[in-house]
Amino acid sequence: MSFQDIEAGRPFGSRRGLMNGKQDPTQAVAAGIFQINTAVSTFQRLVNTLGTPKDTLDLREKLHKTRLHIGQLVKDTSAKLKQASDIDHHAEVNASKKIADAKLAKDFQAVLKEFQKAQRLAAERETAYTPFVPQAVLPSSYTASEVDVGSDKSPEQRALLVESRRQEVLFLDNEIAFNEAIIEEREQGIQEIQQQIGEVNEIFKDLAVLVHEQGAMIDDIGSNIENSHAATAQAKSQLSKASKTQRSNSSLTCLLLVIFGIVLLIVIIVLAA
Amino acid sequence: MGILYGMVARGQVVLAEFSATQSNASVVAKQILSKINQGSDNNNDSNVSFSHDRYVFHVKRTDGLTVLCMADDAFGRIAPFAFLEDIHKKFVKTYARAILSAPAYAMNDEFSRVLNQQMEYYSNDPNADRLNRLKGEMTQVRTVMIDNIDKVLERGGRLELLVEKTSAMNSNSIRFKRQSRRYKNNLWWSNVRLTVALVIIFVIVVYIILAFICHGPLLSSCWR
Repeated sequence: MSFQDIEAGRPFGSRRGLMNGKQDPTQAVAAGIFQINTAVSTFQRLVNTLGTPKDTLDLREKLHKTRLHIGQLVKDTSAKLKQASDIDHHAEVNASKKIADAKLAKDFQAVLKEFQKAQRLAAERETAYTPFVPQAVLPSSYTASEVDVGSDKSPEQRALLVESRRQEVLFLDNEIAFNEAIIEEREQGIQEIQQQIGEVNEIFKDLAVLVHEQGAMIDDIGSNIENSHAATAQAKSQLSKASKTQRSNSSLTCLLLVIFGIVLLIVIIVLAA
Repeated sequence: MGILYGMVARGQVVLAEFSATQSNASVVAKQILSKINQGSDNNNDSNVSFSHDRYVFHVKRTDGLTVLCMADDAFGRIAPFAFLEDIHKKFVKTYARAILSAPAYAMNDEFSRVLNQQMEYYSNDPNADRLNRLKGEMTQVRTVMIDNIDKVLERGGRLELLVEKTSAMNSNSIRFKRQSRRYKNNLWWSNVRLTVALVIIFVIVVYIILAFICHGPLLSSCWR
């Protein structure tokens, strides 16, 4: 109950809607690269399982499906990256977006290289090892049910037997109803947990996109600081040259004053004579 | 809301009970005892739930001992039946063979406190049910992640400010570079002008001295 109050206090859906409104090709590429990263991690984990006792035909099938999935993701993200590059070339976009797109392209190439390495390793191990086929357990035949001979029982005993069997059936029905109620309630709880895990998954994806954007911002900050550093270094060298010129300038001014003094002295001597 | 009433009985005989609120739960419980004890074998084990107004009475019969509780309608079934199971175990472990011959309300003084504790536990403690605990933990995780999103958004805002400030610093440093170069050029030209003035004055002085030595403004005696 208190959790719902916390949930009511901050509407997260509206923020997600606001975030979805700002989806442009660059963010789509970032999300695609993140998904490829996750899928490549899964693929590597499956590849590490090859050659172990867990290596089964199901694992090979799963490996194949994951490889196809990554191929599809790579194709989609490549198309989006090309679209973003076209926008960069055609439209008048700012330098920070170009830097972001260049960084995304570099990230994409790194992910592709990682995937190719994992694929090569998978191919080596698939040829080196054969999958472990578990022995099929033969289904055991059912025990033959007993043949109920009712001819030797009296009608009264037969009536009692029928009543007892009916009560057993009722008892079993009650037990089944009870267990079904318990199971239904448990299923509802598990579904709620699944829903919350799905929400947490969405939150993690949003967080990944945000962190990726902020990585681009930090790159901007880094490039700005480097440019400032270079410009300041050049300004410092210019100022040091100005300082040397100023010292020479002072020396020349002093020399000029001395000569002027000498001339004045000569004029005075001549006038006095 | 949780579990509001608990009772342990042998057949029709109530051995212990506890009620957390003032209600007619005891009367309804005795009616339920009468209903489930007639028309069926006394040794049948069963788990049933009876609905009454806004409450549900959950009944568990095991080995001739009946444990009953009343819970809110929205409280579900997993926790009340876990409560009944727990109470049954505690009762059998505590009183063992004395259950078979005890008179009515014989264990009420001691066991009603145990009933109260267990009712509190199964009503309020999330650890009583593993699913509920997991649900609570997932809610905590989601709350923490929402906080993380807020903090990352705030960090994004600060990073944007930092981008603007570093961009301004970049512009200022470029302007500083340009102005320092202009200043250097100005000083250089000033130096050049000073040198030229010095040379001119030197030439004038030399001319005056020669004019005196050669006895005339045109230096006529020095050209012969």
